[in-house]
Amino acid sequence: MWLSILGLILGISLGLLTDVQIPSEYANYLSIAVLASLDTLFGGIRAHLQQMYDDKVFVSGFFFNIALAAGLAFLGVHLGVDLYLAAIFAFGVRLFQNIAVIRRILLAKWSNKKDIEEAAR
Amino acid sequence: MQKKVFSRFTIILFIIGLMTAIQYNTVNEPNSRDTRDVWEIRQELSREKQLHSELLSEIGVLDETLLKYEAASVDSPEQVLQSTVKELKEQAGLTQISGPGIEVQIAPSLEAVAVGQNIEEIPPNLLIRFVNEVNRFKGLSLSIAGNRIVNTTAIRDINGETTVNTEPVGRPPFSIKIIAGTLEEIERVYNFLLASPLLDDFYVENLSVKVTEPERDLEVEAYEEQLNFEYLEAAEGE
Repeated sequence: MWLSILGLILGISLGLLTDVQIPSEYANYLSIAVLASLDTLFGGIRAHLQQMYDDKVFVSGFFFNIALAAGLAFLGVHLGVDLYLAAIFAFGVRLFQNIAVIRRILLAKWSNKKDIEEAAR
Repeated sequence: MQKKVFSRFTIILFIIGLMTAIQYNTVNEPNSRDTRDVWEIRQELSREKQLHSELLSEIGVLDETLLKYEAASVDSPEQVLQSTVKELKEQAGLTQISGPGIEVQIAPSLEAVAVGQNIEEIPPNLLIRFVNEVNRFKGLSLSIAGNRIVNTTAIRDINGETTVNTEPVGRPPFSIKIIAGTLEEIERVYNFLLASPLLDDFYVENLSVKVTEPERDLEVEAYEEQLNFEYLEAAEGE
C-alpha cells in the first residue's frame, strides 16, 4: 500500500517540479481525465476489497474511461452541447458510490476485528 | 498476486498524480502577462509624471486660495468669497471671456456648391469629434455658433437638427471660436488644426474649414442656460 502512495507522491512532485503546462483550451479535457482516473482508481480499490479485482478490467477501464470522457468533452465542444457534464455526472455519482462501499467494507472489517479481539479475551 | 495488484495501483496513482500536478500548473498560470516593452513603459511613466505635475500645480492653486482666505478672514471675508465665486464661474463657463484665440469657419465646400448639392447640416458625431480633438489641449474655452461648450454640454441630433446645448447649430456657414490662456498655446492649437486629418473628415461631409490666424483678443460667449446640479452632492471631508 505504501508503494502506491509513494507512486502518487512521485507523480505529483514530478509534475510540479518539471512545471509542464498544457494550453488552457485543453485544461477541461485534463480535468475530466483526472476525474475519470479517480473513478477507476476507487473502483479498483473497491473491487480489490471485495475480492473481485481483475487486472485487465482495471487497466483497460482506466485508459478507456479517460479516452471516453475526453472524447465526449471534445464532441460536446464541437456540437455546442455541454456533454462533458454527462461525464462529470456519471463519474461523480460512481465515485461517491464506490467510496461509500469502501467505507462500509472497511467499517465491517474493523468491527469484525474488534469482536474477535473481545472474544479472545 | 498481491504484489502485482499494488504495482498496478502504483502506476495508475503515478499517472493520476502527474495529471493532477499538470492541471494545477495550468490552472494556476497567471492569466495576463506584462508584455509591454521598454518604450511603452516609458510612455506610461511620462504620462504618470505629467499627471503628477498637474496635480501638484492644482495643489499650489488651492493652497494660494487658502492663504488668501486666511489673510482676508480678518477684514473682508465676503470679498474673497466673491472673487472665488467669480473664478469658479469663469471656470464653469458662465461668464463671457476674452483672450487670444482663433476662429474656425465652417462653410459648404466650393465643390459642393458648384455641383449644386444640397447643403446638409453638420453631423453631430463630426462636431463631437472636433471638440474632443481640440480638447486634447488643456484650458481652452470653446463656443460653437455662439453656444458655449461647458462640462455638461450635449452635442446631439434632435429631430434631424444638430444641436449644441439644445440650441440648433443651423446649416453651415457657422463658426467655432476657441480661446486659450496665452498666445503660444493658441498657436499650438492653430498648428495642430492645420495639420490635422480632421479637416479631411469635414471635406467628406462637403464642408470646408477655414482656420483664422491667432488673434490677440477674441471673445467667447457665456453659457446662457442654468446649470443643472440635481445629482451633484457635496463631497465629504475637509
